[in-house]
Amino acid sequence: MKKHIKFLLNGREMACEVEQNKRLLDFLREDLQLTGTKEGCSVGECGACTIIVDKLAVNSCLMLAVQVDGAEVMTVEGLMENGELSKMQQQFIDKGAIQCGFCTPGMMMSAYALIMHNPDPSVEEIKTAIAGNLCRCTGYKQIIEAVSCSCGK
Amino acid sequence: MIAQFEVLAPKTIQEALQLISGNPRAKILAGGTDVITGFHQGSSRFIDTTTLIDINHIPEMHAITETDSHIVIGAGTPFTHIVENPGVIKYFPLLAESCSVIGSLQIRNRATIGGNFINNAPCADSVPALLVYEAKIRIQSAISDREMPLADFLVKPYKTQLKPDEIVTEVILTKFDDGYKGNFYKLGRRRGVAISRLTIAVFGKVENDIITDIRIASGAVTPIGMRIAELEQKLIGKPANDDSLKEAAIELGKIILEKTGIRWSAPYKLPVMQQVCYQQLHTLVFGKE
Amino acid sequence: MKKFNVVGKPVTRQDAYEKATGTALYADDYTFPGMLYGVMVRVPASHAIIDRIDYSAVAGNPAVTAIVDHNDIPAQKKVGPIKQDQPIFSWEKIVTPGDVVAMLVGQNETELLQLRDKVSVEFTALPVLTDPLKSMDPDAPRIHPQYENNAIVHYPLRKGDPEKGFAESDYIIEQTYTTQFIEHGYIEPEAVIAIPLGKAKGVKILGSIQNPHTTRKVVALVLGLPLTKVRVVQAEMGGSFGGKDDQMNILSARAAVAAVKTNRPVKIRFNREESILESYKRHPYHMHYKVGFTNEGKLKSMRIHITADGGAYASMSPFVTWRTVVQATGPYEVENVFTDVHAVYTNNPYTGAMRGFGSPQPIFAQEQIMDEIALKLGMSPLQIREINGFKTGSVTASGQKLDNHEVNLSTVINKAVEETNFVEKWQKNQKDNADVAKQLNFANDSEANQFILTKDQLIAPDKTWRKGIGLAASYRGCSLGAEGIDVTSAYLSVQLDGSAYLLCGLAENGQGLRTTFCIVAAEILGLTVDKIFYLEQDTAIAPDSGPTVASRSTLMGGGAVRNAAETIRERMVRSVADEWKVSADSITFANNTVSSSENNKSVTFADACGITYKHKENLATIGFYQAPEVSWEEETGQGSAYFTYVYGCQIAEITVNIATGQVYVEKVTAVHDPGTVLNLQGALGQVYGGVTQGVGYGIWEEISVHNGKIREMNLDQYLLPTSKEIDDITAIFIEGKDEHGAWGAKSLGEPTLELGAAAVANAIQNATGTRFYHNPINLEEILLNRKLYPEDLKRGSL
Repeated sequence: MKKHIKFLLNGREMACEVEQNKRLLDFLREDLQLTGTKEGCSVGECGACTIIVDKLAVNSCLMLAVQVDGAEVMTVEGLMENGELSKMQQQFIDKGAIQCGFCTPGMMMSAYALIMHNPDPSVEEIKTAIAGNLCRCTGYKQIIEAVSCSCGK
Repeated sequence: MIAQFEVLAPKTIQEALQLISGNPRAKILAGGTDVITGFHQGSSRFIDTTTLIDINHIPEMHAITETDSHIVIGAGTPFTHIVENPGVIKYFPLLAESCSVIGSLQIRNRATIGGNFINNAPCADSVPALLVYEAKIRIQSAISDREMPLADFLVKPYKTQLKPDEIVTEVILTKFDDGYKGNFYKLGRRRGVAISRLTIAVFGKVENDIITDIRIASGAVTPIGMRIAELEQKLIGKPANDDSLKEAAIELGKIILEKTGIRWSAPYKLPVMQQVCYQQLHTLVFGKE
Repeated sequence: MKKFNVVGKPVTRQDAYEKATGTALYADDYTFPGMLYGVMVRVPASHAIIDRIDYSAVAGNPAVTAIVDHNDIPAQKKVGPIKQDQPIFSWEKIVTPGDVVAMLVGQNETELLQLRDKVSVEFTALPVLTDPLKSMDPDAPRIHPQYENNAIVHYPLRKGDPEKGFAESDYIIEQTYTTQFIEHGYIEPEAVIAIPLGKAKGVKILGSIQNPHTTRKVVALVLGLPLTKVRVVQAEMGGSFGGKDDQMNILSARAAVAAVKTNRPVKIRFNREESILESYKRHPYHMHYKVGFTNEGKLKSMRIHITADGGAYASMSPFVTWRTVVQATGPYEVENVFTDVHAVYTNNPYTGAMRGFGSPQPIFAQEQIMDEIALKLGMSPLQIREINGFKTGSVTASGQKLDNHEVNLSTVINKAVEETNFVEKWQKNQKDNADVAKQLNFANDSEANQFILTKDQLIAPDKTWRKGIGLAASYRGCSLGAEGIDVTSAYLSVQLDGSAYLLCGLAENGQGLRTTFCIVAAEILGLTVDKIFYLEQDTAIAPDSGPTVASRSTLMGGGAVRNAAETIRERMVRSVADEWKVSADSITFANNTVSSSENNKSVTFADACGITYKHKENLATIGFYQAPEVSWEEETGQGSAYFTYVYGCQIAEITVNIATGQVYVEKVTAVHDPGTVLNLQGALGQVYGGVTQGVGYGIWEEISVHNGKIREMNLDQYLLPTSKEIDDITAIFIEGKDEHGAWGAKSLGEPTLELGAAAVANAIQNATGTRFYHNPINLEEILLNRKLYPEDLKRGSL
């Protein structure tokens, strides 16, 4: 059974028909072909599917697509600014925060949401914000450096 | 993997109550951390569910209101809002603290306080704090509206007093007078995002070196989160010295052993519960070193 | 030392832009028109005879396009790197719960998942063998009836006269250590797509595959096709750590069989539960060490008996345990050694390659023993290692003299010790925490009345956190050693505009190999790294270079890339020197230009390519690198096992809550000698990631098994380290000289992982005055000296 929803996706107005039992993650990846958002555990533990809904980081595997009706949604595909890498993306690259890259989109969304609310977070605050994003490659150190250096200052 | 269902998004509590009334195949969708994974994994709990009532569009369900005497938290309020609420931080710091260590930030941004206790899972981290604050909850249906202490609502593991057409709408906290202090402790296997192995909240008052009031609640070690009334009774009126606290901690071990019997985890959890209880009481009475 | 332009400098990763923008394509991000999904059918048993499979409940269902099982396999039905014991689809027996009897194939994966339980499999349950120490009992259930017994492999090592050594010892310590199953924990679960290309062209495999050439071999064997008709292309890899080898070969074969049968692309993707259920793990080891030493702290003799749980299939066990037998005595001189390493079959999940590969386990034992010896003799952990540690000219347990490279063991240890003020802290903690051992015995009994404490057992808040510092050191043989043919190739094709294609037969697994190889080529050709375009891994283009394992890529692949780049450079030098009538020696390559000091002429690299082309020289080549000779005597375990070694030392600083058993890791200082550091940022990333995995191994991570079945089926129960587990990591490199590979750049990936658990274990001893022998040292281990598990597999059990 489909439902009509309207929402803002990476700054663009969207109007879609969506199955009511479809998870937001599947809607993004399958219906909208936004495959930057990844699936790692399906139970909200790994954070690979993290996106931003109404300025908060959420696991898209724990939401239904219909729940973003009227919301503002941001995925990794929306991080670029005027066709250029955003400061955070550049910092992830420059600081060596990316290895296999599978956790990277979710990690950046958690970090981006943090900086939206807290433009100058401490290392502890960064660690708390990304504790729900598992990374098996990097040991987090270069990620934390990258987030730290992405802030206003 | 998700079976077919329809999602309704009422805008008011009354609307939600009408929708759930007489519809046993409807379930409430709040934070989704339980419901959506349950559906996705084909859990038998949702086999008969054909309707989800999404309460996220009801403003009262996620509002925190403060009066001179109370703080009322909409049952659909996500933990992040509770953790950041100045009133909660000021008057109910143990609640703020316990909510701040639930899951990851992504989970706290969605998961709700009502959802935490509505299943009555033993490891619901907000419950011990709510119990020592003697939180009440408001339960509504299309034809009824009642309040009861959370402690009474939680019957046994995965069982509460909630009736099929009812919704828990509010958590009601009564402010305390000055002089109360408290501590919350959660023990997990790792520091980030951990399911609790055990939790304890202690809350009380010491006057003239006498313990004049004390409340102790545990989680994840007893079958459900619960106040340890027997222990509280014994401790009230005792001198606030190390010996009383030690006796109390050991007494707690005995009470829990009696309540839960010997589970696989008992050789670890029981002694540790006594240690943690002693240390939390110690900090409450003597302050942090 | 040579001055480098690119080597050792921070360089942007080749794939960073795509990964930072979400446009990098991983296997599950690909879909193809008409694509079908494959869904596994399993049997709820750990050990059973399959009597009958009845598909009638699903056969006519419109959601099922095809049912694929062993009957559809045209050629080889069982595969394996050494022993061909693992069926693509099981048909005779179930030997572990991950086994798959069939695959339902269809367009709608969701429907297939609901249908798979309707396939009825009749089976006869057999006794389940879960204890590897019972595998060789005469009455043990036989896992694979085609073999005489449950032995997978046995490696002996005999050196000197151990009994005489013990007789000459003043002390003997005997101890048993155990380690657990470990999940690789790549964040991307397995995914692969097989695309049929028709009779003439065979099949194309696109997937999350660690070793594309191995996958090609397996799929070709299963389909009965020549290698050329199986083309394996690697999608972006979401982590592997040794884990996407055998498992992906099997999944690729299943997908390929289904693709050929249906003549449509077939995708298999695992969710996390399925990934944990079927994929192989790191081996649990049972290790008995007997060590004799003198009053002066000199090791005299070691007798080591190790049993590795190979699980249901041999997989890489014979290679993994070989490294163990070589390195089991650690980086210490021991005159007399008697080691036996066995790998055996059980009905447990199978075990195979995982980062570390047979070294983290013996290091957990042997580095604790060194500390025990120190304690026994009143020495510091540093002293005991100074006395026994390898120096240049030392002879290893296998009789190999270490004389062809800088033996930097003492350098790395001393650097780590200085950096952390180790000795002083260790001695202070040892004194401050002398009271803890008796405190920890409080719950050491399983009698109910023991659960209730006495007042003197209660620990005050200010006494509960105890500091500990622990050290572990290792040496590690680089690359495959005497376990395999060790050669690599790399394709380099320079274009007339001065850009270049590069591709080595080794594969990018996320570790950053593409970047490191580009650095090597850029350095030699005087290019900036952005001029090198690294091609996607494709078995049709890259020559087989053996597997991407054993921390061999930088060394072996670097060698091949260097060889290729030098070949091209020589041709260019020849042409330019001829064109300008200058001597070849005068030509230099730097900053995208080619110059001669003789005529002070300078042209762009692109123009130099034009000159070379005009001189009819080939601007493309395939470079080759061959490892030096190594040797191994199977009966005695003697020989030059590896052609060179690396050295590392890690120090862990922790606090332990002695009331709860919680361990907080405050700092890990990692000092490694990987030879020359080519890719600085990549090298740092290897250290931080390896340390984190190593510490995870020591404290939080464990796959526990009940009757062959795994308890920790998702990441809520299998606890990977989060961003909050380790407060800080410091990485320091000592760049020892070596002649091999690219400027003596050796191994780093695995050395960084193998030390963490041992360093933590030693730190926990320092904090608690108590030695723990069973990894992981989790909450229960610290307080009870044992593990506790729920009696059943129910989730969320208290």
